[in-house]
Amino acid sequence: MSAREAILSAVHAALGGREVDPCRVTEEARELLGDPAAIRPQLMAHDLVEAFVARATSAKLIGTSVDRIAQVSEFPGAVGRYLTAQGLPAELVLQPSPELQALDWSNFEVRSEMAPDERVGVGVARWAVAETGSLVFHSGEDTPILFNFLPLHHIVLVRASTVLAYLEDYSNAFATTGERQPRNVNIITGASGTTDIEGILVRGAHGPRNLHIVIAK
Amino acid sequence: MHRTLEPFKTRTATALVDATLKIAIERTTATAERKRAAALSDFPEFDAARDRGRRIKDHVIANLDHYLIEFERNAKAAGTHVHWAATADDAARIVIELCRAAQAKRVTRVKSMLGEEIGLPHALAEAGIERVETDLAEHIVQLGGDTPSHIIWPSMHRTREQVSEMFRKAHKTPHEEETIEAMVESARRELRDKFLSADVAISGANFLVADTGATCTVTNEGNAELTTTPPRVHIVTAGIEKLVPSTAHAFAMLRLLVRSATGGDITQYTTFHCGPKSPGDRDGPEEFHIVLVDNGRSRMLKEGLKDMLRCIRCGACMNHCVVYRQLGGHAYGGVYPGPLGAVLTPVFEGLEKARDLPHACTLNGRCQEVCPVDIPLPTLLRGWRDRSWREGLEPVSMRAGLGLWAFVAGHPQLYRLASAVAVRVMRLFARGGWIRSMPLASAWTAHRDLPTPSRKTFMELYKEGQRSQGR
Amino acid sequence: MEPRPVTSASPRVGLFVTCLVDAMRPSIGFATLQLLEEAGCQVEVPTAQTCCGQPAFNSGDTKAAARLARRMIEAFEPFDYVVAPSGSCAGMIKAHFPEALASDEPWRKRAEALGAKTHEVLSFLVDVIGYIPKGRSFAATGTYHDSCSGLRELGIHAQPRALLREVVGLEMRKLEGNDVCCGFGGTFCVKYPAISNAVVEEKAASIEKTGAEILLGGDLGCLMNMAGKLSRRGSRVRAFHAIEVLAGLGQGPAIGEEG
Repeated sequence: MSAREAILSAVHAALGGREVDPCRVTEEARELLGDPAAIRPQLMAHDLVEAFVARATSAKLIGTSVDRIAQVSEFPGAVGRYLTAQGLPAELVLQPSPELQALDWSNFEVRSEMAPDERVGVGVARWAVAETGSLVFHSGEDTPILFNFLPLHHIVLVRASTVLAYLEDYSNAFATTGERQPRNVNIITGASGTTDIEGILVRGAHGPRNLHIVIAK
Repeated sequence: MHRTLEPFKTRTATALVDATLKIAIERTTATAERKRAAALSDFPEFDAARDRGRRIKDHVIANLDHYLIEFERNAKAAGTHVHWAATADDAARIVIELCRAAQAKRVTRVKSMLGEEIGLPHALAEAGIERVETDLAEHIVQLGGDTPSHIIWPSMHRTREQVSEMFRKAHKTPHEEETIEAMVESARRELRDKFLSADVAISGANFLVADTGATCTVTNEGNAELTTTPPRVHIVTAGIEKLVPSTAHAFAMLRLLVRSATGGDITQYTTFHCGPKSPGDRDGPEEFHIVLVDNGRSRMLKEGLKDMLRCIRCGACMNHCVVYRQLGGHAYGGVYPGPLGAVLTPVFEGLEKARDLPHACTLNGRCQEVCPVDIPLPTLLRGWRDRSWREGLEPVSMRAGLGLWAFVAGHPQLYRLASAVAVRVMRLFARGGWIRSMPLASAWTAHRDLPTPSRKTFMELYKEGQRSQGR
Repeated sequence: MEPRPVTSASPRVGLFVTCLVDAMRPSIGFATLQLLEEAGCQVEVPTAQTCCGQPAFNSGDTKAAARLARRMIEAFEPFDYVVAPSGSCAGMIKAHFPEALASDEPWRKRAEALGAKTHEVLSFLVDVIGYIPKGRSFAATGTYHDSCSGLRELGIHAQPRALLREVVGLEMRKLEGNDVCCGFGGTFCVKYPAISNAVVEEKAASIEKTGAEILLGGDLGCLMNMAGKLSRRGSRVRAFHAIEVLAGLGQGPAIGEEG
């Protein structure tokens, strides 16, 4: 008997050897997601973008700052503002997303290869979640996974129309795209941190130390 | 476990006199307690969420075979290699074989208690494969040559001075300033190259999502994603009880897990891994393996420990346990400490070896109260005591003493006589209102005084017609 | 609130004094008796009682616990209520007798029936019989420890405070960690004395930190554990069971004082 058979038959026997009705199981699972309002916290505001910003700028997220722009074309300007404020040179690595590459980066030295100790990475989130102040990235052609984790400063564009209320709204939104599950779904909430040494919080443990979110109406 | 342990009493005695450890435990658990309480006060829906989480887990457990098969099917459809391991040794063997097949010289690891449970550090060492722990706490544990002492803060037993010394010895470019920030930066530098040059990455899973075949890992540092993306081969080891029906169910559980563990609403990084690199992906592993580990879980299902399979490994139980807060994690002697360890260790190591753990508990119930999935820990611990008694594992003196007492208590007249005699005998040892020492009572009187009983028992006085003023 | 008359229509209460009270501090039993009669109950003390069996149950000897449970059920089921001055013993009856008798269906049912009418005394007075004595006085500063079984198995928290609030002159101060286990745990304190001691040392320090003169609680085991440690530390804190103060016995000897 293979380990698989041994384990499955042990589990099946322990559960009384009953006949499983997959439809009933699926139905029960679905019911367990019912009345979501009863088990979720209130958002910090009615308007989703306001709720997202309130959360992202609260003490709940570490190392996170938010800027707002009227249109996506202003994103490079917002990036420039951030770099100046941080005393950083106008150099960055851009996520290979056509949407970002189409913008005007003429004021910057833009590289496409990210070094292990890269200082600035600029990307775009697929969705944002107001409940938690999170950004959602799916790995793919225009989204290398490491781009979200290697740089010290991670600057991310979020379109207001992609801000969702709750985490489950993301999984529902993704389900409607009909796409297959990507290799990586990264739900990123604030900058990297650790409290492993004497409980003292230090940012930038391995991932970015600063997360700067730019929301475009 | 592969080490030989000292007896429980010795381990506890060592822990109880360790003042440095006590400071570390207090800091870690008091902070966790405070943060959890703050998180809950911000989340009035918590009780409803907890009840729902309990029902989700019960539903999965009641249909575990169905979900295992569904998970395997979807994982395979995504290009994942799914392996099954009945025992800890089998699981470790599968991982080593995969590493050998990948000709791995260096393996990076993301913190996983299941990985400890199956003895990966030892197995990798035996196989001559370099193991690089990437989680800061596990890195510290590795440098210190010991084991995790808490499931969320594995290196909580280490002081900054100890960490500083370890980093100076081991890191290529250690910190110059004696600050924790500088130490963390040193670790960041040290481990960065290793992430990118490893052959195989091994991680665990907080959840296994049945309808996508994906694993879910929650972390705060970013090492999980940095570790599991560059190597050619990524291996996940996970207990079979980690299943949830869908991503949305995972989110429902996540709301309970993070608040209960660290007081946050969500960790910085919540990552779902599904299959290897997809066509067109810029990065990611070529091979993705998941090792589903039983190691006693199907037995728990059968033997009255089903409720324990709801555990989402948040650590709240140990943070609120008066015993853990005195001992810390190492004294438990198993992979998992605290109340959850007291229930699980007898499963993995046998009741005979681990019987002290379920007994060294006051059954005060705070653990169950803070458990985000309402596991009846005191009931499960008493269950182990019941089994220990039936299997004759209790010390003879204990059986004899309790047996005598139970016999007497079963015969009221004899009991009346015995209690009347007992109080008179006890009073012989009284010094005023207190007994400071007495034969057979040294376990009590070694540490505290015993109040002198009154001259007669209540039942004697009542029988004499007394109705009030007991003395 | 005036004491109520006891008539043939009054509820019949079986008083379960508990083994610890019986042997170590009868005044708690008499205080309980007094308060129950003031509340208008007809109180009897069945002599067939010995112990609720918790030491056996918690040691894993479920069979012995079941035997003792059956005796207790027989002795007490004729009453309208069963009242004990202990959350842990009342909890044993209510929560655990059915567990101990799980494999014996007829007895399990009887255990559940008994459990339904079993109460710890402080919660009985407030929640069931609705009697909160007024006009008792006890001029002292006090602090209250919530014993774990009573708190978590029986929900006893507000009731002792409601009763003590009416005691004239008694100033209650919050005990930091009032809901943290004192380390008694029944047989735990003698099986694992070093750990128990570490826990009760911290508890004693918390009690001393309140500056209160009096420690109050609802369970004698816990009180003996804490009072014994306070005494060993040379503390001047004096301990009573809350029911004793309500019965006006606060002027008498505290735990560990001679009568």
